[in-house]
Amino acid sequence: MSMVETGIPGLDELLSSNDGDGFPENTATLVYGPPKVGKSIFSYQFAYHGLDLKEPCLYITTDDGIKQLTQNMMDFGWFLQGFIDEELLYIIDSISSLSGVRVENTATYASSKINDPTDLMVKVGLGTRFVFKKSNEFRSVFDSLTTPFIFNPEPMVVRFLKTYLRRLKEAGATVLVNYTEGVASPGTERILKSIVDNVIMLDGSYITFKSSYDFMGTAKYDITDQGIVLGEGEIL
Amino acid sequence: MIVRITSGITGFDELTVPSDDLGFALGGIPENTITLLYGPVGVGKSLFCHSFTYQGLSTDEPCLYLTTDQNFSTIYHNMEDLGLSLQEYMEGNMLQVIDASNGEKMEESLTHQASSVKNPTDILVKVSRGINSISQNNPRFRGVVDSITAILESNDEMLIMRVLKSYIVRVKEAGGTAIITHTQGSADLRTEIIIKSMADNIIMVDGKTLVIESMKGLGQKKAHYEITEEGLIVGKEE
Repeated sequence: MSMVETGIPGLDELLSSNDGDGFPENTATLVYGPPKVGKSIFSYQFAYHGLDLKEPCLYITTDDGIKQLTQNMMDFGWFLQGFIDEELLYIIDSISSLSGVRVENTATYASSKINDPTDLMVKVGLGTRFVFKKSNEFRSVFDSLTTPFIFNPEPMVVRFLKTYLRRLKEAGATVLVNYTEGVASPGTERILKSIVDNVIMLDGSYITFKSSYDFMGTAKYDITDQGIVLGEGEIL
Repeated sequence: MIVRITSGITGFDELTVPSDDLGFALGGIPENTITLLYGPVGVGKSLFCHSFTYQGLSTDEPCLYLTTDQNFSTIYHNMEDLGLSLQEYMEGNMLQVIDASNGEKMEESLTHQASSVKNPTDILVKVSRGINSISQNNPRFRGVVDSITAILESNDEMLIMRVLKSYIVRVKEAGGTAIITHTQGSADLRTEIIIKSMADNIIMVDGKTLVIESMKGLGQKKAHYEITEEGLIVGKEE
């Protein structure tokens, strides 16, 4: 199985140790855990590292608008503008419109509405085609399911997610989806975990990776000014 | 680099100096973020908001203040007792108040509007207008919601989560830095998780200890604090 570099210090080494295959390419991974443990930071690093390797990225932001997203990444010294200019990064922003501020769509930026999964799916289709034309090896980040669950019925979000994952995986993407544990019902949480290939759990102290064929690795982590950095870990 | 604004709370900015630099950076509250301040009743959450507001006003940052528990004239007099006079700032349109409390209301004016916790739509309309008018002439401002608890008690919690998200997106888009207070344990567990996920920074106060559970660019911090006649006084890190 092919792998992608996550760019998260310590994670690629951990997943390649003990005959592991590294982070699996063209799979979907659910990154979940309580609030404020670093889920967004994880996805920033994953997307940024790919862009740095000239792997395009379709980034769907639903918790923070583009202005906040750019600022949050800049706090770590990760600058997006160059990749936007190179047309490597395509952003779908489904939250800025909630502020009432007018946002102009561009070749690499599409605005959507948080309570309109149908519109979001249309934008995902456009974005996927755009990114796919650049390379059939690309990354996709969905950060996160938390706000969609606040604005839409749970089954609707799940239906959207299934379609999204199918479409992106068919196109060849390696997909991350973030989710704050406890925001949806336990039944919906079980479905979320079952429709992805891998899960990554962050709890504030430990990061645990589990693949669909039960390859598991775990390590301590810290959030530094370089983002998430893993400490000594082990394969379970 | 993360820009921080002075909190106005004695000792708080010293506690929040980032440790991993050469000592040049200043502590405070990260600019253009949302801070959740939570804890039980009567532990100084409102006092924290008063000092935060006054600090902003005295450095030419306007403030949009939504109050639900205390009526505004109580706040006004409490702040006078702390030696903080709001009069000139209200006259200069620097302070805009939306009073959604049950108490007796002051006369409505450009800078003082009445609302009700039972009418979240009205609150959102007035708050949005306030943000628009403040941000027209100011690149930055402070926002206070004290507290979200009373609004949650009178409405469907998920509806209020949508209203809160809308408020947060507007404040951030307009360059504001806001504090939202909440009485711990008074809402559904799910709602409390959502509130925490929406905030950038989380501070817990319990009457004795202030814990910074999460803050942009900072590890966890903990310190004793006291409620005095001059407001909260936060001690050294433990």
